[in-house]
Amino acid sequence: MTTVKINDQSISLEVGESVLEGLERASIDVASGCRAGTCCKCMLQADGAAPSGSQRGVRTTLKEQGFFLSCQAYPDTDLVIQSARVPDPVTATLDHIEMLSEDVARLRLRFSDPSAMDSTSPVFDYRPGQYLDVLHSSKGDECYRSYSIASLSNDGFLELHVRRIPGGVVSGWLHGQKVGAQIRVRGPFGQCFYLPDKIERKLVLVGAGTGLAPLVGITREALRQGHRGAIDLVHGAVEPSGLYLREELDQLAAEHPQLRVYRCVLREAGARELEGPLDQIALRVAGPLKQVTAFLCGDDQIVRKLQRSLFLAGVPSGEILADPFTPAPA
Amino acid sequence: MTLYERLGGEPAFEAAVDEFYRKMLLDVRVARFFDDVDMDGQIAKQKAFLTFVTGGPANYTGQAMAVAHQHLLEQGLNDEHVDVVLAHLGDTLRELGAASGDVEEVVELANSLRGDILGRTNIAQ
Repeated sequence: MTTVKINDQSISLEVGESVLEGLERASIDVASGCRAGTCCKCMLQADGAAPSGSQRGVRTTLKEQGFFLSCQAYPDTDLVIQSARVPDPVTATLDHIEMLSEDVARLRLRFSDPSAMDSTSPVFDYRPGQYLDVLHSSKGDECYRSYSIASLSNDGFLELHVRRIPGGVVSGWLHGQKVGAQIRVRGPFGQCFYLPDKIERKLVLVGAGTGLAPLVGITREALRQGHRGAIDLVHGAVEPSGLYLREELDQLAAEHPQLRVYRCVLREAGARELEGPLDQIALRVAGPLKQVTAFLCGDDQIVRKLQRSLFLAGVPSGEILADPFTPAPA
Repeated sequence: MTLYERLGGEPAFEAAVDEFYRKMLLDVRVARFFDDVDMDGQIAKQKAFLTFVTGGPANYTGQAMAVAHQHLLEQGLNDEHVDVVLAHLGDTLRELGAASGDVEEVVELANSLRGDILGRTNIAQ
């Protein structure tokens, strides 16, 4: 008999009973739909390996994180299901801060214990392209904002690109911090990251504004993991002054001939930028779309538009990884 | 062997569902009903639908179908829209290599859901 653990509760599965049925029998509320492994509504996350056969049709980045379909799960060993609990905050030290453009700062955070970011350590184990929350107390109110992670696990620090939002509580506070400041973060979150399962495939990464941060992490991670296909990175902004990290990315492209960097703006394009809507330019540079995996990051509306344009133009839905950023209410 | 299996099962269906959903989004007559901000969620629903009507692994309940379309009735969903979707369904299956007899059978089965979709059957049972 196998046992399923969830939220400190243990349920013994009966013979022939799926995880979904077992949880329902124990009066645990699990959303479900088709109950046949198609609609993905009953998806849960395993702590460790998911039961065999229960990940058919699940997106690869979710599979990697242990997500499985509970209606298709008949475990032959005990199973622990991760609760939806938000991870506890951890404190990091600001190690480096510099301006990358008029309003974007690069912040690098380190944990005092260098093993904290070791892949074997539970403190902060992330994949480049995921995001974290920065927590901040202001006038007695605790608030948080999400920022994507631009660094790699073996960089030894967490890199964030923070745009100063006019009137922004957290971004304004972060911009005013000095090296040595203590900053509380929690995470990681998100499913927009690189997996080395199709190393010949062309990657198209499109981001607007600080949507560049996760894309830099994903690009460097793909190169580190020996990705063989071409990588096109398209960074968009309203005007050229909104584009940043030019020299570093050009340097990276010079070192890796498979990487091409495009910059595009809606207006006032100079010799180094393309002018026009980001989705149209991304489609123009991307080439045959059926063979493309796309990573889309940035403002919510822009990402939705990119997702739709690339899908309609032929990128398979399962090959579009989107990380839409929803700004916090003012 | 079900049509679902004969058409290649799940791998073939990934592409078929994408194609079916693209046809809907590109058809001005029905696009607004499918213009969900959550594209992944929409695709999962279309996949469940296509799997069911081709005899693949899916449990169908008329009640769920009725509930899922209730808000679209308020937006004017009617028989003409169902006709458009059925035409796209037939085209998608033909492009996938289904024989015309199979296509007819599937479209007929899908058509039998019309009452549930358009709220003509009692959902409070």
